[in-house]
Amino acid sequence: MSDFVIKRLIYSAAISASLGFAANTAIAEELRFTVWTGSEAHLQMLGEIADSFTATHPDVTVRFDTIPFGDYVQKITLQMAGGNPPDLGWLLENSAPAFVEAGALADVAETLKSTDGYDYADFSQPAMGLWETSDATYGIPFSTSPFLIYFNKSLYDAADLETPDQRVKDGTWTWEQLRADAKDLRDASSGIWGFETFDGQGYGSRVWHTLVPIIRAYGGSAWEGDSCKLDSSLAAQAVQLFHDMVYADGSTVPPGEQGDFFSGNAALTMTQISRVSKLSEATFEWGLAPLPFGPAGDASTVGQAAVVAFAQGKHKELAAEFLAHMTNKENVAKMAAFFPPARKSVLEANSFLTSNAAVAPEQMTFVAQGIENGSVLPSHQRFPQIEAEARPNFDALWSKDADVPATLKKLCSSISPLL
Amino acid sequence: MSAVRKGPSLSLKTREAITGWLFVSPILTGFLIFFVGPLIAVFYYSTTEWNLLSQQSRFVGMANYVDALTRNETFWDVLVNSLVFAAGLVPLNMAMALGLALALSKSRPGAVFFRTVFFAPVITSAVAWAIIWTFLLQHESGAVNQGLSIFGIDGPNWLHEPDWAMVSVIFTRVLKTVGLNMILYIAALQSIPRDYEEAARLEGANGWEIFRRITWPLLAPTTLVIMVITVVGSLKVFDHIYLMTGGGPQNGTMVLAFYIYEQGFKFFNTGYAAALAVVLFALILMLTIVQMLLKASRK
Amino acid sequence: MNYRTQQKITRICWIVGLCALAIPFVFPFLWMLSGALKGQTDVFASSSLVPAKIHWSNFSEVFAYQPFARQYFNSLYIAIVVTIATLFISSMAGYALARLRFGGSAFILLVLVSALMMPEEVTIIPNFFLMKELGLMNSHMPLILLPLFGSQGVMATFLMRQYFLALPKELEEAGRMDGLSRFGVYFKIALPLSKPALSAVGIITFLFSWNLFLEPLVFVNDIELFTLPLALANFTDTYGLPLWHLQLAATALAVIPMLIVYVLAQRQIVESFAMSGVKG
Repeated sequence: MSDFVIKRLIYSAAISASLGFAANTAIAEELRFTVWTGSEAHLQMLGEIADSFTATHPDVTVRFDTIPFGDYVQKITLQMAGGNPPDLGWLLENSAPAFVEAGALADVAETLKSTDGYDYADFSQPAMGLWETSDATYGIPFSTSPFLIYFNKSLYDAADLETPDQRVKDGTWTWEQLRADAKDLRDASSGIWGFETFDGQGYGSRVWHTLVPIIRAYGGSAWEGDSCKLDSSLAAQAVQLFHDMVYADGSTVPPGEQGDFFSGNAALTMTQISRVSKLSEATFEWGLAPLPFGPAGDASTVGQAAVVAFAQGKHKELAAEFLAHMTNKENVAKMAAFFPPARKSVLEANSFLTSNAAVAPEQMTFVAQGIENGSVLPSHQRFPQIEAEARPNFDALWSKDADVPATLKKLCSSISPLL
Repeated sequence: MSAVRKGPSLSLKTREAITGWLFVSPILTGFLIFFVGPLIAVFYYSTTEWNLLSQQSRFVGMANYVDALTRNETFWDVLVNSLVFAAGLVPLNMAMALGLALALSKSRPGAVFFRTVFFAPVITSAVAWAIIWTFLLQHESGAVNQGLSIFGIDGPNWLHEPDWAMVSVIFTRVLKTVGLNMILYIAALQSIPRDYEEAARLEGANGWEIFRRITWPLLAPTTLVIMVITVVGSLKVFDHIYLMTGGGPQNGTMVLAFYIYEQGFKFFNTGYAAALAVVLFALILMLTIVQMLLKASRK
Repeated sequence: MNYRTQQKITRICWIVGLCALAIPFVFPFLWMLSGALKGQTDVFASSSLVPAKIHWSNFSEVFAYQPFARQYFNSLYIAIVVTIATLFISSMAGYALARLRFGGSAFILLVLVSALMMPEEVTIIPNFFLMKELGLMNSHMPLILLPLFGSQGVMATFLMRQYFLALPKELEEAGRMDGLSRFGVYFKIALPLSKPALSAVGIITFLFSWNLFLEPLVFVNDIELFTLPLALANFTDTYGLPLWHLQLAATALAVIPMLIVYVLAQRQIVESFAMSGVKG
């Protein structure tokens, strides 16, 4: 078997069920479901959920369509505007307000509440914040995933350094410490980097993901209400730390370089629990740790993604039913292996800590704690426009002699009108 | 003769007119539907505020233009970038094409081989070319900087420093397209009668004088065509930008064609993107008129 | 120094200079080939052009990763359809504009010429909604119709007209005497005479379609409908990071057949440009 599946071509087989009754059954329907993962393990799990849907809907197939993360929102928007909308899809927290505001998401409240045994109240209230209004539900979070630090234990051991999970116990796991570790572990001669940003995209599509957790650990924030807080001295201090890691220390994979944690070329990275699936063939030992503390203490940050049904979809009712199926207790427990759930019953069950075969229970507690204490990444109705304005300003940070506070001030002045 | 007999009621002239219209009707119909119609529409769109996501639009008059011209600093950066890109690409491309053509127009052994080499990127997909160069231009592990380090030069982070990113995109684009211009020049050079050069040589003219007084003037029509093709090609550059820099860093390589795409399809500002498209239209129309005047003045 | 040694030195300079200039043209292809044969992690790990271990499996994985053969076919058939249709429609219109006298022809010519240089970006937004209205989204029709009737088709028409203008009229007049219709004269006499122009225009049109990127990006969603340029830009792993080794293997697969065809036909290609008088 090849390591690669044909992307976007996972069909769940439903034909067998209707073989004998071909003449009588309704025409088979296909739901199109957009995701940003291409991981074989993820797609297989999703395919199984789609398969189990045929128990109640024998003629329905679900097709999972992978769109790369960086192009995701743009592609589905184009598809909607072009009259070819997906029926369902994943959506990231930062897009939620814009999509809700534009009326692009279907209200699935009625279907969910009328589904037997669904138990809508089981979803943690804070997690639902972005996705419901007083009388409507626009999506169900399937992943409320805290940001974590992955570390290459083999490299730590070889350098005889105390590992991050040890330091968590000592209470010495801080961003300054992470910086020092990254610097120690950077080995230019063998191409080993100290720290890699989130999926290596920390200067582009994931620049918020890289900087917001540090800023929060230093007591700052991106924006509050309609006022930009990125120009605060706390935010500047945090961004300066990261800037120093990249330029003063040269320990962090800079823009335009490749250094992949998952192939063993970086000692540390910040990412989420779902990326564990990328480590199945790792040739090194690894471990997990929570985000480091900053001067403001713990600032766990959670990235959230929800399953949504699109308002313009061609099979709205069916899509809502599949959404209900995908987020029922059984399937949420199943997805918990990769995507930390928002269902209290699943989260609180002991089985959650053992749900991921690759991760030791004590490390899984970091995930559980992160969900409990974490706050969601910033989002906004005009996020696409904010992103457009912010991007060139963020770019200006990535040079050796960038003036961090001045650049952040400029950033704030260009996004403030949009907030 | 037979034609006249077959159509007694129509004069020869009318028949020719009908045939003429029939011959041009396929392209004309398509052109009206897929070019003229959309062109009119884009003027209308440019007067609306239109969100691609919510699909709602409202009339705002000239607000998009006012926004672009007075309020939005990015617009001017983008315009300047587009002109810098053209100003960098066109002379470099043309000088190189002419130089290569002069070196390779005569059939010396090896000439065919080198023509093949310089033309190869032209038939290579632009996406492939951009992808390969993105790798070659990486900061430390890229082949370009590793090559430079042999000579003790510490190369810049090509695609991640605004000025160098522009240089990189121009340079790779020149490499991609110079072959076609070279071939056009070679074709033109080969159509210049040999006698001219020989006559000049007999009169004691040296190579440079022959080039300046005979070859260059005779190449003028070709030069004009190549210039037009290259200028327009430079204003519509999209794939290199999309794949190599995404318009960054700091909008340093954000050119008009790419900016239209981003505003229209990525940031949902469809009306604003339409106004940008009108600006691009005006820019190219101006160039077209200048070119027509140049051509007319030559005659 | 006598004349001969001087000649020799010039010749050596000529070769050395061209070789140096050729490096940035040739090296990317070598690097692509080498990267295509390397494993995922050593594309960047070693700067040597010779792979430590040759991974032929990259090429088969390209086909397992996405329907690459299908995408190859898409690009090929679209380019061929666009080329043939353009040659037919544009040469017909070009012939009429060069040879036939009819009211409005000067105006048509002026309108077409002013559109000669309009890039597709100008009309892409309205065309997006037009294709939606026509129900042609997520199909290959926009990729065929827009080049055919946009600036590329106009350019082809214009080039054909220029060529027909330069053809001697006598043969066509003889054809008229023999009782051929106007269409017959165009099809049986003028077209066969314009082979160089047809092949030059054909090559330009084919390459234009083959390189098309913005249109597929905007109009096509399904991976089975992707064209090669889109497919090449789509070799990303789970979270959108490029799979370099596969991307390079796919790039090599896309580039090498074209290179071979070009090397075999390069003399004819250059000649057709020379004889077509593509110079406005």
